[in-house]
Amino acid sequence: MAEKALEGIKVLDLARNIAGSYCGKLFADFGAEVIKVEPPEGNPLRKMCPFKGDEKDPEKSGTFFYLNTNKKSITLDITKKEGADVLKKLVEKADVIIEDFEPGKMKEFGLSYEELKNVNPKIIMTSITWFGQDGPYRDYKANNFVAYGLGGAMYVMRPTKWPDIRPAVLGGYQAEYTAGLIAYIATLSAIISPKVEGTWIDLSVMESVTSTLTGIMADYSYLGLSRRTLPWAIHGFPTQENYPCKDGYVNLTPGIGGTQVIADLIEKPEERENPLLVKAGARVKEPEKFEQLILPWLKEHKKWEITEKAQKLKLAFAPILSPGELLEDPQLKERKFFAKVDHPKMGEVTYPGAPAKLSESPWKEGRAPLLGEHTKEVLSEAGYSEDQINDLKEKGII
Amino acid sequence: MAYKLLEGIRILDLTTVYAGPMGTRILADLGAEVIKIESPSRPDLFTRMTAYPDNEPPEKENWNAGGYFHLLNAGKKGISLDISKDKGKEIFKRLVKISDIVMENFSPRVMDNLGLGYQELRKVKPDIIMVSMSGLGHYGPLRDYYMYMTGMEGMSGLTYITGHPDKPPLLSNYAYGDWMLGVTGAAAALTALYYRKKTGKGQYVDVAGREAIIIHIGDVIMDYTLNGRVRERAGNFHPEMAPHECYRCKGEDSWINIAVENDEQWKALCKLMGKEELKDDPRFAKAEDRVKNREELNKIIEEWTKNYDNIELMEMLQKEGIPAGAVLSMKQVHLNPHLIQRGYFEVIDHGKAVGKRPVGKQMPAKFLGVESFVPKRAPLFAQDNEYVFCELLGMSKDELKKLEEEKVIGTVPRFPPPRPTRLDLIEKQVGKGAGYVDPNYLEELRKVFGEDIGKK
Repeated sequence: MAEKALEGIKVLDLARNIAGSYCGKLFADFGAEVIKVEPPEGNPLRKMCPFKGDEKDPEKSGTFFYLNTNKKSITLDITKKEGADVLKKLVEKADVIIEDFEPGKMKEFGLSYEELKNVNPKIIMTSITWFGQDGPYRDYKANNFVAYGLGGAMYVMRPTKWPDIRPAVLGGYQAEYTAGLIAYIATLSAIISPKVEGTWIDLSVMESVTSTLTGIMADYSYLGLSRRTLPWAIHGFPTQENYPCKDGYVNLTPGIGGTQVIADLIEKPEERENPLLVKAGARVKEPEKFEQLILPWLKEHKKWEITEKAQKLKLAFAPILSPGELLEDPQLKERKFFAKVDHPKMGEVTYPGAPAKLSESPWKEGRAPLLGEHTKEVLSEAGYSEDQINDLKEKGII
Repeated sequence: MAYKLLEGIRILDLTTVYAGPMGTRILADLGAEVIKIESPSRPDLFTRMTAYPDNEPPEKENWNAGGYFHLLNAGKKGISLDISKDKGKEIFKRLVKISDIVMENFSPRVMDNLGLGYQELRKVKPDIIMVSMSGLGHYGPLRDYYMYMTGMEGMSGLTYITGHPDKPPLLSNYAYGDWMLGVTGAAAALTALYYRKKTGKGQYVDVAGREAIIIHIGDVIMDYTLNGRVRERAGNFHPEMAPHECYRCKGEDSWINIAVENDEQWKALCKLMGKEELKDDPRFAKAEDRVKNREELNKIIEEWTKNYDNIELMEMLQKEGIPAGAVLSMKQVHLNPHLIQRGYFEVIDHGKAVGKRPVGKQMPAKFLGVESFVPKRAPLFAQDNEYVFCELLGMSKDELKKLEEEKVIGTVPRFPPPRPTRLDLIEKQVGKGAGYVDPNYLEELRKVFGEDIGKK
């Protein structure tokens, strides 16, 4: 078996939220040894839906499972001095510690970067907070929804046709996943860098969201524009929008085929010179006329049928697929995208697999740990005797 | 002492448009030497011609003035090279020999057709890392589908679960799918780089944009795989939190997000609204009741929020420990005191046609003791030809001249007439306005970033 990409890296994952846990997951899935440090009552993600069979069992949370694949789990009360001492002991042998407590909390526990650096000068501490370790919002309360709006991404989340309606958040927990991916890149580059002795990484979820805006930031700094939707769909509104068809929705992005061939798609070759198909300006001016032209045909055809025909005409149309339809998708099947593993409490679990296919050091599948499954193993490895472990257990530290 | 994290890592960047450049930009922010390669006959058109300063294409070198290009390519070096010509291929391979990573986001056919696929490149440099970023991946029955951000998002499940139930499914509207593809590509490149550091082995990395998006809705997908439940789009609904909504505030198109996580925060909200009677109202007593009766709840709250400015209201709510955030417009993002105080923006001088403009970080993390951001402008077209061809590859000036005559390189790209953004259309679009144009934007920016913003 090939060596895994990150084999040899040791990560302590204290994260309670999605961002930090996702960062830890990426490390674990690429082969690092990641130890999830949970409070004795369990990580908060264990209380998050969806649950297998809708049973609110901390061992059956799909969210916890997904974000903690391939990790080990130990229980440890780091809010108590003895627990913090155990963590320091583990830091001695670790490369990375990921944490997402409110700014200042780690210091309260006696686990600030300065203190951990004394234990292990090479430690990389990745701190993920909603707003960062300083600044006027430092102590603000937030979650995915709040950070997403403040990051500047939500204001534009309105359909082109209805630019004045209530903005809608992007599905799932995108602010948090975004921060998790950035945290992974930040942490890994600190590990790779030959010059880093150790460092403290301060990452804000709000700023992570803002950093996804990149190009469109120039709207304001070059043009003074604050858009509230996607105003100039490249090929002229309303193309590039999602339109209803017989069995759902399709996205109408023309691509290199050019909008003219839409006439062939809808079996009306006589419309090839129709300004609505040829000129973006004509469409923008009278979008409802474009709709009248194309909607009747769309409504008689299914999304995959439309897509296949359109793609042959070099139109970049695509079906809007539901989470369930992904499991049946021929491309994802061929690429063996979904992973399937056994879990002692959940049975067989299917979940989305590799973010990228690395030819030499592939991603690996694996399950999430049970609460405290590896406490004994990890503490013995760190040099704790059986008596000491029992003692910690009696005191409620582990 | 300040140092750059990825100093000494050289990346050949063949990416264009949006997704790929975001991925290489994050690596440039971290200090890698990113060499952007553009063909004189096929420059990175779309972003080079989008968002000219003050919406006026300059008379000279307008290909160097597009705002999108500047933001997507800050900190990179730029050369021109036509890799479809034999001589261009040969030079490209010489560059591969002295580089660590090649990143590209052509359609899956292109690099192989050019004779520059991974198997060819590894012959030149056995430990090269090649990262291909595409819509649906480099193998599989649909690999040749024409794909943009819209298709990648649409086919990922993310679009399906986004938007209001009475409106069509909603795309991200800011190319988030592209960001995920590019940045996942960067993450994979670093993963492969660590592996090479350990084993000396290079490898090929195949990143599919659609897959990079799906992994960011893992919890939603698992509701299906565990329980057969298909999550439908539901606006700002949250299954476990209420209130969890975007509420209208005072002023035009002004909004605030409020997301109450527990009963304690709910009680604090009732008190702040001056509606203490709601605390004991059985319709709203527990989270599950509030989720169930959210429509009534949201109406009551919006009656209150619409009397306040969104920033002022956020401060009031936060003071009581209630999670709330103004929904910032692009203008508000640029003028946000928190981002500014944290140093999120860098002021970058883009030269005479553009002047100084604030540029947000692509790698927002701060590293203690590390210079994590490279405050350099995006490259002018072909600006680093001499450095790369003469200094790195040891060519003479004469050779350079000959290459230019053979059109293998060039200093002037083939470029269509400049196209100002149709701000007039945007303001009128669909009769309601797809955005606002602030005529005083430079003055606003100057108050925060200094008097010389936008001065040419």
